[in-house]
This record gives sequence, C-alpha cells and structure tokens, in this order.
Amino acid sequence: MGSTDVIASVKAELGRPSAMQPDKGKVAIFVDCSPTAEPTFEGRGGEELSAELSSALQHCLLGGKSGAGAGIDLSSLVVVEGKVCWDLYIDGLVISSDGNLLDALGAAIKAALSNTGIPSVHVAAEAASDEQPEVDISDEEFLQFDTSGVPVITTLTKVGKHYIVDATLEEESQMSSAVSISINRQGHICGMIKRGGVGLDPSVILDMISVANFVSRQLMDKLDSEIAAADADEDES
Amino acid sequence: MAAKPSTTTTAKATYSPIDPTRKTRPPIFSGSDVDWLRPDSRGFHQCRPAFFRTGAVNSASGSAYAEFGNTKVIVSVFGPRESKKAMMYSNIGRLNCNVSYTTFATPVRGQGSDHKDFSSMLHKALEGAIILETFPKTTVDVFALVLESGGSDLPVVISCASVALADAGIMMYDLVASVSVSCLGKNLLIDPVLEEESYQDGSLMIACMPSRYEVTQLTVTGEWSTPHFNEAMQFCLDASAKLGKIMRSCLKEAASDEQE
Repeated sequence: MGSTDVIASVKAELGRPSAMQPDKGKVAIFVDCSPTAEPTFEGRGGEELSAELSSALQHCLLGGKSGAGAGIDLSSLVVVEGKVCWDLYIDGLVISSDGNLLDALGAAIKAALSNTGIPSVHVAAEAASDEQPEVDISDEEFLQFDTSGVPVITTLTKVGKHYIVDATLEEESQMSSAVSISINRQGHICGMIKRGGVGLDPSVILDMISVANFVSRQLMDKLDSEIAAADADEDES
Repeated sequence: MAAKPSTTTTAKATYSPIDPTRKTRPPIFSGSDVDWLRPDSRGFHQCRPAFFRTGAVNSASGSAYAEFGNTKVIVSVFGPRESKKAMMYSNIGRLNCNVSYTTFATPVRGQGSDHKDFSSMLHKALEGAIILETFPKTTVDVFALVLESGGSDLPVVISCASVALADAGIMMYDLVASVSVSCLGKNLLIDPVLEEESYQDGSLMIACMPSRYEVTQLTVTGEWSTPHFNEAMQFCLDASAKLGKIMRSCLKEAASDEQE
C-alpha cells in the first residue's frame, strides 16, 4: 500500500486440537518487523511493535474465545475430531514501513489465505481411541481455503479534529489516536482496537465505524479483484 | 434497558458471598436462543458488587486492591521516580505499566501467560487520563498483579489502577472506569465471569473517563452488527459512569479516614 511493503505467509502443520475446542483447528499469527523497514527495529527494538501488531491481528481475525465470530472458519481445519487438526501459522513480515501497517498486514493475510491450499489427508482405519491415528498426507490434492468470510482491517487515524484513512508515516507521527476496525463482507464488525492515548468521544467512534464500513467495502472489492487476477495469472504460467 | 450495576462498598471488608452450588449448564451450542443462567444468579445487566480499598501496599506511593466477585487484583504505583539514565530526556513524564498473573490465579496453574498484551492495553487506557506534563523527566510505574482471575480481568485492572494512581496523588484528568460486555448468542451480558467468557461469541471492553465522556481504550472481538454494537457500547458507558461514582466514593472515604 503506497510505500508500505509487507509479506504474509501461511504454513500448515498437523497437530492436536485443544481440549476445549476439539472440533476446531488452531491459528497462530505472528508479525515480525524487519530492520530493513526502520533502523530502530533491529534486535529488540521492533519487538514491542510486533507484539502489538500480532495481538491486534489476532483480535481482529480470530474472534471470541469460543471460536465463534471468527473471521477464519476454524472448523474447516479439523481432520479427525478431537485428535488431529491443522495448525495454521500465519507470519507477517514488515519490509518497508510508511504508516498503516495493520491494514497492509490484514490485506496481505487475506490474500495469503486465499492462496492457501490445505493438502487433503487420508486417515487410516480405526485406531484405538487414545492413539494418534495414522495419517497419510497427499501431495497431490489440495483444498482451497475459503476466504469469503475473512475480514478486512481499516485504520482511521485522528489528527486534530479530523480523521483520515490510510495514514502515511508522517501523518501517523502527528496522530492523537487511531482506531482499527475489522469489517467483514456482511458489514459486521469483527474486531476493533483503539491505539494511542487520547480519549475519544463515543459519537466519534460510531461515526468512524460507518466511515470504516464504507471504506472497507471498497477495499474488499479491490482486494478480491486483485486476488482473482493474480490467481488467473498463476494458472496461466 | 438501562444497565443497573448493583454495588456495595462497606467500610468493613465484607462482600456478598457467591452461591457455590452451580446450576446445571444448558447446552450452549443448540440454536441461537440460549437461555443462560448466570452462575452467580445475577441478571444479564447486573454487574458484580465492586469493592475497592486503597493503601493496600504500604511501601508504594499509592496502591489499591479491588475485588469484583472472584476477580481480585492488587495494583501499586511507584513514582514519579527518576527515569533510567539510558532513556532519553523527555519533557513530559513517562508511564510504565506491567500486568502479571500469579501462578495460582487461574483454574489451571500457570495459564496467565495468555494475557501478555494486557500491559500495553493498560498503558493505553491510562495514558489518555494522566497529565504527563506535571512530571517531566520522571517515570511513573504501575504494577498490577492479578491474584485471582474470575473473568473480566482487564477492566478490573484498569479501574483498580486508576484508583491506585489517585491514591498516589498523580494528577489525572479523570478516573478511568472500565467495563466489559460479553455477547452470547443474542444476549448481552455485562461483566462476564470466567465461565461466560469461555463461551462468549464476542466481547467488548471499554475504558472511559466518565465525567469527560471520553473513551480511552476500546477492544472488540467477535462479530457485531452495528446496532448491536451501539447497544453494547451504551451499556458499557452507562455502567462505567456508575462505576466511576463508586470509585470516587471509595477514595473520598479513604481520604476522610485519614483526616480523622
């Protein structure tokens, strides 16, 4: 987005589902800020920002603790209920930072997920109930991940009395506070985080939500068309 | 539908005991019309009784202990203290927050590490309320310790921290009161308990300054439609206004005790 460059990658591994949610897979999101973006990110410098971005993304994309309302459909990740499921590790890397990292990461993750193919797994017949069943991972067949429900994150930055969308680094340095809202295709809010210290009037927040609704619709349409175009390119080559 | 948080703050430390007999859990995943009986038999729109006590830690500049049902939190404030020499000069003060869980706080030992981001959330919630210009070149440290996690931890930590900051005499624009609301199916439950949090479909946490009517921190998880979200936000704001009054009365009591 502009001068902000981020890369997102999705890796899947077989693992055990947690005891509390045996019919759902697990997703872990990590963000790493590379020093190529800012010299201050070297070593421990970028850790705080990475942690903040990771937790913001987890809030926005993963929904409540019971797994409901999650942007990503976790029940499609289960292989054998209660024993084997796919663990998705989503990693984001910030290469060049010109502001509005969260939106860029959200868009990148959505695109990465739409490109994800989960290999289909054949489970060997009846193992004893507390042993891990034998699984045979096929290299050939892939299941496309369904991303129509994945939300898109929009950050509204409040500078003075106005708020702007998609702030560059310069604009962000002047911000008093920012609200990041993740909205899905139905226009429902999937997650919202307020960053920055200054207090905000509740009516302002409601206003921001309607603006975010409008903007995210446009962004989602653009994203979807870009992803479809990229997929078409891949198929050709 | 106004939120009616019920509260008790008595000078002597008593709080209404919670009925230990658990009602049988209805199957949550059957249909959207869930009839959830709250384990401590509160209404959906009733908060837990709030108990605050300042001066819990003698060696700190200010401290407070808060108990909301089963959630017990102790916060101590140190400062303003000299900033570490490694930090750059700054003509406004710095705020350093740390939230940690004791190992016995959660039902399963040592599970508090799920909440690493609470420290930065506490920082953001308090940042907007403290007048940092009054203590340049120094740092104020806020250390929160969750003794028992009974649900709705972060809101209790934030409220307790602002009482502790007031006890320490740090200048603030206003007290920060914080409430969270859980969404189960179509129902909105205010001030969820740990059990309700594990079944929730969505949650909304607001930290606001009641007299200024400003929101300093806002976190939403799960899927919300806009009118639903509006409703929940109004709930939270109303409840935090009432919580703010309780915090204030607790501080006044503590101050008048001292004068005697």
